[in-house]
Amino acid sequence: MQLLWQILVNGILLGGFYALMSLGLVLVWGVLKIVNLSHGSLIMLGAYISYYLFSYFNVDPFAGLPISMLTLFCLGFLIQRYLINFVINAPMFNTLLITFGLDVTITYLAQLLFGADYRTINPDYTGANFILFGATVPLVRLYAFGVSISLTVILWLFLSFTKIGRAIRATSQNLVAARLYGVDPRLIYALTFAIGAAMAGAAGSLNGVISQINPYIGILFTAKSFVIAIIGGLENTLFVIAGGLILGVVEVLTALYIGPTYTNLISFGILVLVLIIRPTGLLGRTA
Amino acid sequence: MKRKVLSIIVISAVIITIALSTIPLWGSPEFIQFSINALILATLAQSWNIIGGYTGYPSFGNSLFYGLGGYGVAIGMLQFNFPFALGLIFGVALAVLVAFLLGLPVLRLRGQYFAIATLALAQVMSAFVSNLDIAGGNIGLVLPLSLSDTLFFELSLGLLALTTLTVAWIANSRFGFGLIAIRENEQAAMVLGVNTTLYKVLAFALCGIFTAIAGGIHAYYITYLDPSSAFDSTLNIKMIIMTVFGGSGSILGPILGAFVLSGVAEILAIEITSLASLFFGLVIVLAIIFMPRGIVDFIRRFPELGWRYFQENIRIYRL
Amino acid sequence: MSAILEIQALTKNYQGILAVKDLNFTIENNEILGLIGPNGAGKTTLVNLISGTTLPSKGKILFENHSIENLPAYKRSLLGIARTFQIMRPFPGLSVLENVAVGALFGTSPGVSKIVEAEQEAQKCLEVVGLTGEASHRADSLNGPGRKRLELAKALAMRPKLLLLDEVMAGLNHVEIQEIVSLIKKVRDQGITILVIEHVLPAIKNLADRLLVLHHGMELALGKTEEVLQDPKVIEAYLGKKRE
Repeated sequence: MQLLWQILVNGILLGGFYALMSLGLVLVWGVLKIVNLSHGSLIMLGAYISYYLFSYFNVDPFAGLPISMLTLFCLGFLIQRYLINFVINAPMFNTLLITFGLDVTITYLAQLLFGADYRTINPDYTGANFILFGATVPLVRLYAFGVSISLTVILWLFLSFTKIGRAIRATSQNLVAARLYGVDPRLIYALTFAIGAAMAGAAGSLNGVISQINPYIGILFTAKSFVIAIIGGLENTLFVIAGGLILGVVEVLTALYIGPTYTNLISFGILVLVLIIRPTGLLGRTA
Repeated sequence: MKRKVLSIIVISAVIITIALSTIPLWGSPEFIQFSINALILATLAQSWNIIGGYTGYPSFGNSLFYGLGGYGVAIGMLQFNFPFALGLIFGVALAVLVAFLLGLPVLRLRGQYFAIATLALAQVMSAFVSNLDIAGGNIGLVLPLSLSDTLFFELSLGLLALTTLTVAWIANSRFGFGLIAIRENEQAAMVLGVNTTLYKVLAFALCGIFTAIAGGIHAYYITYLDPSSAFDSTLNIKMIIMTVFGGSGSILGPILGAFVLSGVAEILAIEITSLASLFFGLVIVLAIIFMPRGIVDFIRRFPELGWRYFQENIRIYRL
Repeated sequence: MSAILEIQALTKNYQGILAVKDLNFTIENNEILGLIGPNGAGKTTLVNLISGTTLPSKGKILFENHSIENLPAYKRSLLGIARTFQIMRPFPGLSVLENVAVGALFGTSPGVSKIVEAEQEAQKCLEVVGLTGEASHRADSLNGPGRKRLELAKALAMRPKLLLLDEVMAGLNHVEIQEIVSLIKKVRDQGITILVIEHVLPAIKNLADRLLVLHHGMELALGKTEEVLQDPKVIEAYLGKKRE
């Protein structure tokens, strides 16, 4: 029983992180209607930015979050405006391929620049724990959970209540109508992708503290973000929290009761089942 | 496609195939090895062409058929003492079964959802097999060493020829027209009388057959099989890139793309492997922007359009 | 004259909205039946139900006395039902000729199985609609009226017994409308039964033997064209606005 509680706590903490991890992919998919296969590599970049800030300038990874977010924001803006924009009206398949090419490019560029070794970010409080009803809660994971949920909610508030946010939502629902209201779709698309990248950057920074990083971690992030996108749907960005929590808990329960080697099988199996049975997503609606 | 052009292609293809089949006589061992891999990749690209190029359903998970073929041969030969050929048939049977069982539900999905579903399916299959004892679990299986490189070369060449002939037949048959109609506008194809469900599954199964045979040959060639090499997911991307780069939906495009990209990657890989992958990434990005319809289309239209060819491609697809 | 198509108690429910409610009528062999009604009356839904693009919630559809309401679209095409789409659906990457050839290959069984024969059939259909000059052009390079003709040619190539036309005249000028009208009459003369959805009333008057008026998914009037157009219910519901 005690073990189960510990596992559940682990799953929930993981789930919170997963929510932030998938946020960028879900946002871009919902607004630009493209599946960004380079999403995971952007997360990876965020992780390395935090790593170097920490190693060379002693910047605390949580404090340095804005820096990695801002850097990825600018990078994302440029990527969308000057690369993806050129193929956005092509068959969807082309955008799949170009984002894949981008993923490969970023990953191997990172390998050349940063080397393939595993790295971690270890601030002083890394080992500190907090005990919740008998379960050990690592402080860094708790902070990561808090930051993830906060950022997700902030983004949701931004999209719901600010002028730009509403312009973004209008564009995602009806491009033609939005244009008629004076919205410049190129700007909105670039902005949206940039925000998605910034979220990815944040997720990366957090990942650096709670786990190891190397240039190849991107693909698994992208894959899991899909699962969450399909579970939570693309309508409401808050649903990534539900999706993330579900995936997180399912993963840890699978590892406990079936075996750690079955986690991927179950996660992707769920993805396929949901796609087949309810292509519109489990909770929300997908595009 | 005009009859005359088709006959020219067929004749030159036969000549080239015969010429290529002599490679084991004069090529260095490294070159033969490279060729075998290039031929297998070309077969994968050509098979993908059937479901992705002609039918318009981009599968990101053909590695699942590849692995099934490989494991079919391995399990057949090791656990049931099949000869190689029977092992191949066993692998193909598995692939066709899966194509029908899993294809039916998954082919109901549109574009990107289909892509994601197939990607996930490949991962599921890989994870599933790695938990099977009869397949040797994560440790894998070791096959007996037997055939010569020459034989593998000819087998791979023969497979590529067979796959290409099939694609050529498809491109000029009622079945092929049906597939293309599905690709261009599935709703319209349905009311025009095309049994879209049947056709899609058949295309998927055909693709699965050739991919599985390639996987079987490859497994026997390297004599070792484990889930990550059998269900190698990097192959999925390679086969798609090669087909698109060469010209998706054309008969020779996938072969061109596979040979050219394999060749260039080989030359670069002599330096650093990650440099080759980086190169691949950049090629994809630039190709999608400037020549999204591949080399075949480039050859056909660059002579008349010149540099405006690239401008046109950007102009049509940009926001 | 026997009925080629019989509709019985046909209903289509879209998540609470009854697009088509309890329709009962027949289409006589070799007639031209006009289908009119305000936007949203259920006309396209009805065509979707007959062609198999949508399945009904309730009711029966009998084609040549066979029950077809649950058959998939392609099976109905094999039996001899062809339709055009209001929002046109060409095969963009294929040539005009190839577009029509698809219809010839897959239409009413037994159908043509050789590409060469199909292209010959297609050529004939292109002549009938007047698109011979554009045969080798890409389908998406055609203008509006051209695409309408292509839709028609594709449907004709299927050798249909029943042809469902969904607003083929929208966006055409007077001359083009006249041409389409005589085209449709030519098609009927070949023995084909035609259901025409149209908003262009003068053309429908000229074309249709009988008229079915739909309103809110229900039948408002059905009968000989002249009589229906003078029916006060119809004038009030639909034509009334035109009288202004």
